[in-house]
Amino acid sequence: MYPKEIEKFLLRVQKPGRYTGGELNSVVKDKDSVDIRYAFCFPDTYEIGMSHLGMKIIYSLVNAREDAWCERVFAPWIDMEQIMRENSIPLYALESGDAIRDFDLIGFTMQYELSYTNVLNMLDLAGLPVRSKDRTSLTPIVIAGGACVCNAEPMAEFFDITLPGDGEEVTNELIDLLKEHKKKGSTKQEFLEAAARIKGVYVPSLYEVEYNEDNTVKAVTPTCGAPEKVEKRNVADLDSMFSPSTFVVPFLEVVHDRTTVEIFRGCIRGCRFCQAGFINRPLRRKSPETVEAQCRSICESTGYDEISLCSLSTSDYKGLEKLITNMLPWTMEEKINIALPSLRADNFPKELMEKLNAVRRSGLTFAPEAGTQRLRDVINKNITEQEVLSTAAQAFAGGWTAVKLYFMIGLPTETEEDIKGIADLAQAVVDEFYKNPDKPKGKGVNVSVSLASLVPKPFTPFQWEPQDKPDTLIEKQNFLVSCVKTRKVSVSRHVPWTSFLEGVFARGDRRLADVIETAWRKGCTFDGWAECLKPEKWEESFAENGIDPYFYTARRREYDEILPWDHMDYGVTKKFLIKENQKAHAGETTACCREKCGGCGANRLNGGVCDEIGKTVV
Amino acid sequence: MKSVRLWFKKDGLAVYISHLDMNRCMTRAVRRAEIPLWYTEGFNPHPYMTFLMPLPLGQEGRREPLDIRIEGEMSFEEIGERLNSVMPGGIEIVEVREPVCKSNEIAAAEYEITAEFLTTGEAEGFASGAQSIIDGGELNAEKRSKKGIKIVNLCEMVRSFDAKADGKCVFIRTVLAAGNTVNLNADLLIGSLLSEFAAQTEKTSIVRTRLLREDLSDFE
Repeated sequence: MYPKEIEKFLLRVQKPGRYTGGELNSVVKDKDSVDIRYAFCFPDTYEIGMSHLGMKIIYSLVNAREDAWCERVFAPWIDMEQIMRENSIPLYALESGDAIRDFDLIGFTMQYELSYTNVLNMLDLAGLPVRSKDRTSLTPIVIAGGACVCNAEPMAEFFDITLPGDGEEVTNELIDLLKEHKKKGSTKQEFLEAAARIKGVYVPSLYEVEYNEDNTVKAVTPTCGAPEKVEKRNVADLDSMFSPSTFVVPFLEVVHDRTTVEIFRGCIRGCRFCQAGFINRPLRRKSPETVEAQCRSICESTGYDEISLCSLSTSDYKGLEKLITNMLPWTMEEKINIALPSLRADNFPKELMEKLNAVRRSGLTFAPEAGTQRLRDVINKNITEQEVLSTAAQAFAGGWTAVKLYFMIGLPTETEEDIKGIADLAQAVVDEFYKNPDKPKGKGVNVSVSLASLVPKPFTPFQWEPQDKPDTLIEKQNFLVSCVKTRKVSVSRHVPWTSFLEGVFARGDRRLADVIETAWRKGCTFDGWAECLKPEKWEESFAENGIDPYFYTARRREYDEILPWDHMDYGVTKKFLIKENQKAHAGETTACCREKCGGCGANRLNGGVCDEIGKTVV
Repeated sequence: MKSVRLWFKKDGLAVYISHLDMNRCMTRAVRRAEIPLWYTEGFNPHPYMTFLMPLPLGQEGRREPLDIRIEGEMSFEEIGERLNSVMPGGIEIVEVREPVCKSNEIAAAEYEITAEFLTTGEAEGFASGAQSIIDGGELNAEKRSKKGIKIVNLCEMVRSFDAKADGKCVFIRTVLAAGNTVNLNADLLIGSLLSEFAAQTEKTSIVRTRLLREDLSDFE
């Protein structure tokens, strides 16, 4: 429930439902009966945050404890922020309306590099100093998890703790520890040193970073008994792992508003640009029985009429057909639609597609990622043009008239021919439509090409690669548009400046803290939103702090350079990543894990087990 | 297949749920309650559900109608009980019955409006000023419709209006045209009156209390 002071402003802002709380299944506890109050912060709008599965998991997990209360906090949109600042209303949690500066834990989920300034803004709106060293009392402890913390260095000055890897177990351990230290009356330093001994906890302030004259990292030295390498946390068994049995049901329309259940973590594919595919290894699979029971429970308690079976590559789930066949009787009876995001064009049976469309028809999207077979081999996207075309033909025969194709530009070794190949492939899909003798009369085909730009990420084989500068990307985009000769193909492109900034932070180091703070003080927030991004403010901030952003993006790194994130251990070995990088430049593919174990090394974190290949000798 | 008219109350946090969001919210509630709904046929089956008179964002509704269609047997009482056990805070089913009137019979709606001012003087001035404008029969305002913006005389859409000051508050009871053909949003009326006096309220609450037919009898 929102604080009283805000009531008279609610009808003056866009979408007041973002700020009221009170949604079905939101958890309200008696604050005096809990030991730990946890503010789970999503550093973007309500609509985006409420679509995020990780938040739902942690929310339910913490609230399952009697001694803790987890509440939700989102970044207020610019209109509301202004009202809050003008009226000195501090950032509050949606369930209680209480100011979060008085909470014990403030946790951010870091899914996107361009939400970094929002973290600072939210801490400031809460009335807290943005830098860890300036928050001297034991609580609140500011923590962060999510994909971006695999390289937490640009944000190292702001967070007290980051949690690389799976959050399900470590969150509970951290809460237990904080509860104990609150009771003992420990100092913040005492707590942080103790926390650093938990597996999967990184305390940036306990590491000293030295730089070489050329600005590369010279050494990262742990202090106060912190481990030399921080191993990401890995949950071994997804069936016994905590998983929410219900979701908070938003009133507002949010991006993903449906039952979402994970079916496995990790990926067998090894696309060389894909960070998620490497940092979530080894593969761990949830059983179809568990998946089905969780879907049912969430649907019953929310009233959702759509289920998303979610993973990095859903058609790779062993037993997908059986799972869907088991679920169809009750989902059809209850008019529930099953959505399968992240399908591959090469291994999804036609019959299954037909069954799924019995309730409601959803869109069709392929991600060939590159325009030529040569470049697809470089990035190890092992999918052929023939596979894309035959799946598209199947879909057209099934009555579809619109197809979305995802591509990337700025890939290593890319030439003009590869970019032209994107237009050619889109054209080939259009041609496929007209080959279909039963095509619907009077209807054209619409192929929309979505063009992203490669941002080389840590813990991928491309972590050493230079990233194209914005100007180069714009040239490549324009070239592609000039290659498209039909109005049946439409091209949508990403803002190159966005990818550039993303690239700076993705592979950045601690010296970026000053840049982030400067930019935020100049008014940068919601940088991921085209209407909010202020490139000139960022350029000023880099210049004022004497930082060349292209040092982070445009430079090819040597294999023996100490990378800012090298003291994190995500399982996959550097040796493996180097081998993959070399193979990319040689245009050689690597078989998927199902065909042959590539020896990435991630099963070491999981007692030697990878659910794809079973137990092997490490 | 049977038509059922649900009457619900919307207040508290629920006033911030927009009409579009209300649709989704009720669809889910009906699903959670396991009401045997009738679904439309076709590519995108969805439950039949019609809000007869959308309630603007920010306004409270004391008794708002919603038509659904059910398949199979379930008593009105059970429908109401099941729905109320799964409803989010601020929305409550107050009655379930067969539809009596046709939806196009809605012609007016009664409102209770409370406007809170900073001072007693402002409240008294506004109450008497607003009353005399409405009684005078002319209050022009820009009204947005599907055909664009045009200037209309709001008084032509006011069926009755009674404003009284009490301390810093002004209480208004009014009946305004409502329905598909002529409709006056209470927000627009209050906003226009306030701007006539360049006045500002600390807080305004608008409650729609009843829907009425042309002869001002209750819409049922």
